Amino acid sequence: MSKALINKKNKENISKKILNIFKKKGFNFIDLDIVIDTDLLAQRSGEAFKKYALNFKDKSGKEISLRPDLTIATAIQYIQSKKKGTEKLSYFGSAFRLNKKRDLNVFDQIGCEIINSKSSPEYLILSTILSVFQKLKKTEIVLNDLGLFQNLINSLNLPQRWKLRLIRHYSRKEYFDELLKRLDTNYDLDNEKIKIDYDRLEELKKMDIDKVIGGRTVEEIIERFQKKIKDPRDNFNGSRSVKIIKDFLKLKVPLGKSGNVIKKFVEKNNLKIKNINQTLSKFNNLNKKLGSKQDIIFDAKFGRETQYYTGLAFSICKQNKELARGGEYNNLIKTLGGKQTPAFGAAINLNQLI
Amino acid sequence: MSKIRLGLPSKGRLKDESIRMFASKNLNIKNTNSRNYFFNFEESDNFDGIFLHAREIIERLNDGTLDAGVSGLDLLMELPDEYQNNIKILKKLDFGFADLVIAVPNDWLDVQNIADLEEVSFEFKEKYNRRMRVATKYSKLTEDFLLSRGVTEFKIVGSLGATESYPFTGSAELITDITSTGSTLKENNLRIISDGKILKSSACLFVSKKFKGKELDIFK
Repeated sequence: MSKALINKKNKENISKKILNIFKKKGFNFIDLDIVIDTDLLAQRSGEAFKKYALNFKDKSGKEISLRPDLTIATAIQYIQSKKKGTEKLSYFGSAFRLNKKRDLNVFDQIGCEIINSKSSPEYLILSTILSVFQKLKKTEIVLNDLGLFQNLINSLNLPQRWKLRLIRHYSRKEYFDELLKRLDTNYDLDNEKIKIDYDRLEELKKMDIDKVIGGRTVEEIIERFQKKIKDPRDNFNGSRSVKIIKDFLKLKVPLGKSGNVIKKFVEKNNLKIKNINQTLSKFNNLNKKLGSKQDIIFDAKFGRETQYYTGLAFSICKQNKELARGGEYNNLIKTLGGKQTPAFGAAINLNQLI
Repeated sequence: MSKIRLGLPSKGRLKDESIRMFASKNLNIKNTNSRNYFFNFEESDNFDGIFLHAREIIERLNDGTLDAGVSGLDLLMELPDEYQNNIKILKKLDFGFADLVIAVPNDWLDVQNIADLEEVSFEFKEKYNRRMRVATKYSKLTEDFLLSRGVTEFKIVGSLGATESYPFTGSAELITDITSTGSTLKENNLRIISDGKILKSSACLFVSKKFKGKELDIFK
């Protein structure tokens, strides 16, 4: 038997066993569509995703993509099913992504998701995934809460536009680093041009406010201009915020110690971070339940590249190989056209497991 | 020795300037008339010339059926990266200057730079539940530039001409277009944003990377 065929058989056997474990934990298997409406994906993450998804046009000219991710495919199926209650779903299949050189990578994934749960789903997902790996030794969990970063940014003394920008682009590391450089130098407003535009503002004010210019109403343009000029420009200390952000992203400690380390960081920088106690108590609970059997590391920059994670995110690794990854994605279903729905899930990377 | 297969633009100022440039190196076209695509030089038998559309010249250099040719840098850069693997810029020429720029309606006075555009594009999506549309003939360059500057919430609308009209006909919200003086944009009530230059283009003498001859070194 060829190596590829043996590999395939192995994957099938392992996936059957894993799906069985998921079934015992109450997850129902669903068969996911292999192609996704490209517009739906673009609606979620703009044009950027097209760089890594494999896109085609059907006979009518409509753009479709091979699913780049099974969580997205699950969320779309959940919306289409029009179900309203809590759903515990499991799946198995391939995800297709292009790398930077535009070569196709195929990931065989098997995962479970809890959608619209009334209680905290993180422990159930984590313990379910860990039960798959119980025979493996020396696995390690790396964990973070992306909501913590968002709340940190909102606690900084920065103009609102900068806060939004940093939160929006947190998942795009290179561009985020560029933003930090810009924030350091307060570059983004041309005061000369603003003076000229003040005169033009008077002209605009005389126009019909409902008039549409390039898809935007006169009212909208005036409103944003006034908001922008009122936003503090030169009297905020960008460098201090940059230092705080950079220092925060360096935090990496065992989960058991993370509470103290984060509290010290907050005190040292004189910050008031929203929901900090809830986040630390979530960390504490997980550490109590899982920490005795498992190394768990808090890493403040973990999970940022997955754009749809909104809260807790984790990865299970063994000797630097990532076996599974998951997290909370409370906005994904809404951005794909459904209602605001909490969701939490994880997927095992079968290619790494075998 | 096989002759150098040379492509020159078939019309307009690019054609006239290309002919003038070769003449300045004592290579005068001898059998040109408006109906004949093929030409030779009076002073040298080393060339087999053909007049082609500037875009076609890039295609033929890429597939190896031309050795050298004059065309626009913008046309090469807009094509997939593979083209740049097959085509070399021998010299950037001092004509055919044009910039590919981002232009917004003049009355969008709150949009001065890319950072504004990024912010407005997010607000637009939140408000209208659709992405801002960018009309352009240069979808690849535009997409790469906007993504690299953090503007992700947009949709490209392919344009074949009169791109300047798109924001005022409801077909797009902003545009990217090639401009040399900016006057057409101004006349159409559009304004180039301050850091919105995507590409500084000019005519170039290109050679196929397979071409190893020295005959064109006089242009270096």
